[in-house]
Amino acid sequence: MVSSAVESRRRFSLGVVRPTLLAPLGIALALPLLVRFNAYFLGVAAEFVIFAIVALSLDLLMGRSGQISLGQSGFFAVGAYTTAILNARSHLDLAVALPAAAALAALSSLIVGFPAERLRGHYLGIVTLGFGVAVAQIALKWSALTNGDEGVRLETVRLFGVDVGAPLHMYYVALAVLVATIAFSFNLARTRLGRAFAAVRDSEIAASAMGVPVARTKMLAFAISAALAGVAGGLLAALDGFIAPEDFGITQTLLFFAMVIVGGLDSIAGAIGGALIVEIVSQIAAATNGLSLLILGSTIVVVALYFPSGLKGIFARLAPDAER
Amino acid sequence: MEIIPQIVVSGLAEGSLFALAALGIIVIFNASQIVNFAQGAMGVAAAYVAWFSLTVLHLPFVLALAAAITFGFALGVSVETLLLRRLQDASTMTQMVVTLGLFMAILGAVGALCGYNPRAFPELWSQHSFEFGSVILRPQDTLNFAILGTLAGGLTLLFRHTKLGLAMRAITQDRFAARLMGVSLTRTLALAWGIGVALAGATAVLAAPVTTLTPGMMDSILIYGFVAAIVGGFGTFSGAIVGGLVVGVIDNLVKTFLAPELSLTIVFGLLLLVLYVRPNGFFGRRVAQKV
Amino acid sequence: MLACRGVSVRFGGLVSVDDFDLDLPKRGIFMLVGPNGAGKTTFINALTRLCPVAAGSIKMDGVEISNVSPDQVVEYGIARSFQKAEVFGGLSALDNVLVGLHAQTRTGLDGALGLPTARREEFAARERALRALEEVGLAHVARSRASRLPYGYQKLLDVARALVSEPKLVLLDEPFAGVSEGEVHTLRDCVRRAGRERAVLMIEHHLELVMDLAVRVTVLDFGRKIAEGPPAAIRRDPAVIRSYLGTRSGTS
Repeated sequence: MVSSAVESRRRFSLGVVRPTLLAPLGIALALPLLVRFNAYFLGVAAEFVIFAIVALSLDLLMGRSGQISLGQSGFFAVGAYTTAILNARSHLDLAVALPAAAALAALSSLIVGFPAERLRGHYLGIVTLGFGVAVAQIALKWSALTNGDEGVRLETVRLFGVDVGAPLHMYYVALAVLVATIAFSFNLARTRLGRAFAAVRDSEIAASAMGVPVARTKMLAFAISAALAGVAGGLLAALDGFIAPEDFGITQTLLFFAMVIVGGLDSIAGAIGGALIVEIVSQIAAATNGLSLLILGSTIVVVALYFPSGLKGIFARLAPDAER
Repeated sequence: MEIIPQIVVSGLAEGSLFALAALGIIVIFNASQIVNFAQGAMGVAAAYVAWFSLTVLHLPFVLALAAAITFGFALGVSVETLLLRRLQDASTMTQMVVTLGLFMAILGAVGALCGYNPRAFPELWSQHSFEFGSVILRPQDTLNFAILGTLAGGLTLLFRHTKLGLAMRAITQDRFAARLMGVSLTRTLALAWGIGVALAGATAVLAAPVTTLTPGMMDSILIYGFVAAIVGGFGTFSGAIVGGLVVGVIDNLVKTFLAPELSLTIVFGLLLLVLYVRPNGFFGRRVAQKV
Repeated sequence: MLACRGVSVRFGGLVSVDDFDLDLPKRGIFMLVGPNGAGKTTFINALTRLCPVAAGSIKMDGVEISNVSPDQVVEYGIARSFQKAEVFGGLSALDNVLVGLHAQTRTGLDGALGLPTARREEFAARERALRALEEVGLAHVARSRASRLPYGYQKLLDVARALVSEPKLVLLDEPFAGVSEGEVHTLRDCVRRAGRERAVLMIEHHLELVMDLAVRVTVLDFGRKIAEGPPAAIRRDPAVIRSYLGTRSGTS
């Protein structure tokens, strides 16, 4: 009877390096070689990595903290525009522009995070939906700041002084951020704050009885999620060298949403897997934009009806003992 | 200052659309406790049906509108019967996921079938404008009022004086008791969804001449419709209608005096303020949780 | 330690708790009983600030707490379990209990960054949590998801979670309801041990199980205290017998 307790003591660690991660990490690192440094493929791969970061951010918010967010594209956009504008107007290095993107996105999340305490389920969904649409509208109409529908073109993208504009470089930069995000999410889930998020999700009443400040915790979940999505947005701006309002909006939000639903809520591997599937479908069906939405939309419906745990459920059956 | 009456009247005309949108959402929500996030997309599909009727089949406006409404009705019934029925006991999150999935799928289908280029939607009713003193009522405005009045009136009649309406009110109050009384839950739900989506279709058809026909045309109106529904307390029809009209007037005031192009953002901001003061809208009830 | 005076709780026009007085010292096992609907859980909810106190005062070690917010209650040394085990279904049993230590730990984002101070605190917390699970006999399911545990285990988990922070006062709302025969023994020992180190206020319907544990019983009916005293006396009190067996009009 005590052996499981001993097991728990032994197996707990806040480390990042685990055997199961080495293989995917190795492939990811070697990918440029595998695709013979083809710039187009590297661009697609970098985009996938960036979307995986957003998927993780959304999973943190919806999966782990149980806060419905239909406006993730809003945080993504804030981060992208912050980075682009800082780059285009002040030629700021990514080392400054990316943290700025994170900070501004987190700040913008207060708009929805603050009322999140009082808003349940549907209302929160509607408010976050409105947020995403409002941000897209601001991007389109506040021409003085965002150049309206002409978009923002970035100058040379530098990280710590080094020119990293090429898809190959951005791929590795994004990958580094993704790995850091994975480590962060992994550790978060297994420590006090991550538990507090899950507690608020599962039972606000019991959580507050344990001393968890529910309102503040929800705001924090929004802020962290927004910061991550903001960084991802900044990375996308750096990768594409150009952003315009049509990159952000309801369609983008729906795609992010699809990633975490297909991947299964509250699962790091699921979020990444979901991002991969959405990216692949988007690439295959890229010719007719509508087709990818149709496929993914139908997939979401099927998943919700028949496979509620998404990819996470499938992973769990394959490796029942793995911790997340 | 003389333009205020005009702004108010135009705002009311615009608000009629929001009211219709909110009505559709509320009808569905009251019956099934599900918020139909796909409401806009479903309306768009119906609008395309109307467009087809008008430009290809050369049907008169009334028939085209009827076609859209019928299509919407059929779509709503199918979606409820085939998909949502299984979700009656699922969590809010799951229901939201399915309606969002439908949103994507329908949007994608429409885009794939009809393309993303905006199409001009023919003028529905090219009668002349009416003038009341300094206020001009454009044909579009009159039409909006007329359709809102007709549909809202019809809806009220349905709910107050028919068996179906009674059934719908019953399942809103107490599903179990309603079934004990012999109400067919499945039939009533299907019809509620049919009516709700039919309303979405009507909304889209009325909006199309202004927004032009494109898959994303209802995105803004969907938001306004939700705002209206929330302001109206997410419960009663009168709340939805009043909410819609109020939002329309405020939106028009903002457009004229503050910032013509950021009105949705500002209205959204106002919604947040309202929700902060009254988390359940103006006519809503607080729902307590038992421990 | 705990001093409640004239506590009243109202819901609309209905008075659920009416002018209720209760005193609890630092140690011992005390019971709150009464027929269904008497107001026992409502009182606990008021004490833990889940519902507003319409009148009266609640003082913990001399400090008035009838106005604090629910998440501050645990800082005053009060912890509780729930009538329907409110476990965190998506977390493991161990994680559930760890949340019980939330107020006594401080790790925030530094935990996500894996900093050494965070690790130390986390290790220490896990030790305490595991011991709490052992107390209620759940150590063997420490890593199981709470939503997959049988209901009886969930109730035990609820208790472990309340006890882990070593509170001054622990409120147990029908802890034995839904617990299987095998676990009753473990739970009784656990409650008895807890009563030696802190104050335990227990609501319970399974009177035979716990009457011998309690040192004093308070009886509520229609929100009012109708009797208070040692178990033996309460068992014979005519007012108590009447309220449980006599004719009552309506409430449940």
